[in-house]
Amino acid sequence: MRILLKMMAVCVMGLAGSASALDLDGLRDKLKSQLPPEAAKVAQVAKEVQGPDEQEEIAIGRQIAGNLLGAAPLVKDAKLQKYVNQVGRWVASQSERPDLSWHFGVIQSEDVNAFAAPGGYIFVTLGLYRLLQSEADLAGVLGHEIGHVIRKHHLKILQQSKLVDAGSQALARQSGSSRVQQLIGNGAEIVARSLDKDAEFEADRMGVVLAARAGYDAFGLPAVLQQIGHAATDDNRVALLFKTHPLPADRLAKLEDAMGDRFDHVKGITLEKRLQRVK
Amino acid sequence: MKSGRVLVLCGLLLAAPVVAAEMGSMVRGEELKAEPFRDAKSVKQLAVGDKVQITGKDGGWFKVKAGKSSGWVRMLSVRKGEAKSGVSAASSLLALASGRTATGKVMASTGVRGLNEEELKAAAFNAQELQRAESYAAGKADAQQFAAQGKLVARQFDYLPAAK
Repeated sequence: MRILLKMMAVCVMGLAGSASALDLDGLRDKLKSQLPPEAAKVAQVAKEVQGPDEQEEIAIGRQIAGNLLGAAPLVKDAKLQKYVNQVGRWVASQSERPDLSWHFGVIQSEDVNAFAAPGGYIFVTLGLYRLLQSEADLAGVLGHEIGHVIRKHHLKILQQSKLVDAGSQALARQSGSSRVQQLIGNGAEIVARSLDKDAEFEADRMGVVLAARAGYDAFGLPAVLQQIGHAATDDNRVALLFKTHPLPADRLAKLEDAMGDRFDHVKGITLEKRLQRVK
Repeated sequence: MKSGRVLVLCGLLLAAPVVAAEMGSMVRGEELKAEPFRDAKSVKQLAVGDKVQITGKDGGWFKVKAGKSSGWVRMLSVRKGEAKSGVSAASSLLALASGRTATGKVMASTGVRGLNEEELKAAAFNAQELQRAESYAAGKADAQQFAAQGKLVARQFDYLPAAK
C-alpha cells in the first residue's frame, strides 16, 4: 500500500512537476487542471479518426447547401421541388440512414450535374433534370448522390485535406456558421472537387441498388449516363461534370461489370407518366 | 428574345423524328435476342461497332433494329450517339434540352448558365433559399404514401461488390 502510494506519487510528480506528494487536495486540483487538456486531445484525435458527429455533419452540409444555392437558386416550381423530395426521401428510406433529415432540390442551372453535401443535402441541376425520361431515372440519379452521403465521401475529403483540423482549432475562437465556413473552404467549392474515381463507381453501384430496393427499374441511372455520354465532350454544360467524374463510358462499363446478370429477374417500374415535367 | 424562342421551337420540330429513332453502336459483341431476356432465342450475332437503331426499351434491354433484323440487346452493351451518316450525333436529347439543333449549332443562348469552379468558390451563403429548400422536405411517412400511390414496393437487395 505504502509502496503503491509512493509510486503513484512519483507518477503524479512526474506529471504535475512541483506537486507535493502529501498534499492530497492540492494534488486533486493539480490533476484536474492537468487532465482536461489531455482528455480534449484524446477527443480531438478520436474526432480526426471517426470524423464529425451527425450534428456537425448536418451543420457542414447546411453551410455547403446554402452556398451552392447562392451560386444557383432553386427552380421556382414548388410542385417540382416537393416531387423530388418525395422521390428522394423514398429512395433514401432504403439506405442505412433512413432517419436523416434528407433534402432534395432542383437548381436553376443549365449545367448537367448533381451535387451531394454531407448531412443529406442533394441538388440536381435543371439541365440534368431535363434529361430524365422517367421517375426511375430520377431515382437512380438521386440514389448515386445518396450513396455519396451514406459513404461520407465529401466529409472524408474535408478530413483528408486537414480542413477539419483547422476548423476545430478555429472553434476556440469562433462560433456558428463562420466556424463551419472556415472548415469547408470557399463557398461551395467542395462540391466541385473531384472525388476518388472509386468513390464515383461505388456511388453508381449504390445508386442502382437503392433504386431497385425502392421498387424502381434499376436501369434509370445507366440510362441517364448513356444520355450524358451522348453529349459532346466540349459542351460546356458538361464541362464540370466531366472534369470531376470519370467519363460516362467508363462508368457504364464498370456498372455493366458489377451488375452482370444480377438484375435479370428484378423487374421494377419506371413511372414515366409521373415524372414532373419542366418548362 | 422572342425570335430566340421561335428558333428553339424550330430546332425541336426538326430534331424530333431523329430522336424517335436513336442510333447506337455495340460496345460488346453479343447475340441479338428475339425477346428481352438472356436465354431468349438468338436472332443473330452482333459484333463490336455494329450500328443499331434503338426503337424501344424494357428494363435493362433496348429493342433495336440491326440491318434487316430486329430484336433485343442488353442496354449496357450499346453506346448511344453513333449516328448514321447524315444524322448528327448532336441531335440528342441533351442537344434538344439545351436548345441545340440537329446540326449542333447553338440556337439560343439565353438562360444558359454554366456552373464552374470559380462561381462555386465565390458563392455566398443564401439563407433564404436554404430555408425555402428545407421547407419542401418530405417526411418518411409522406414518402411511403407517395411510393404506395405509384405502386412502388420496397424489396431487399444487397449492394454490389466492385467487379475485379
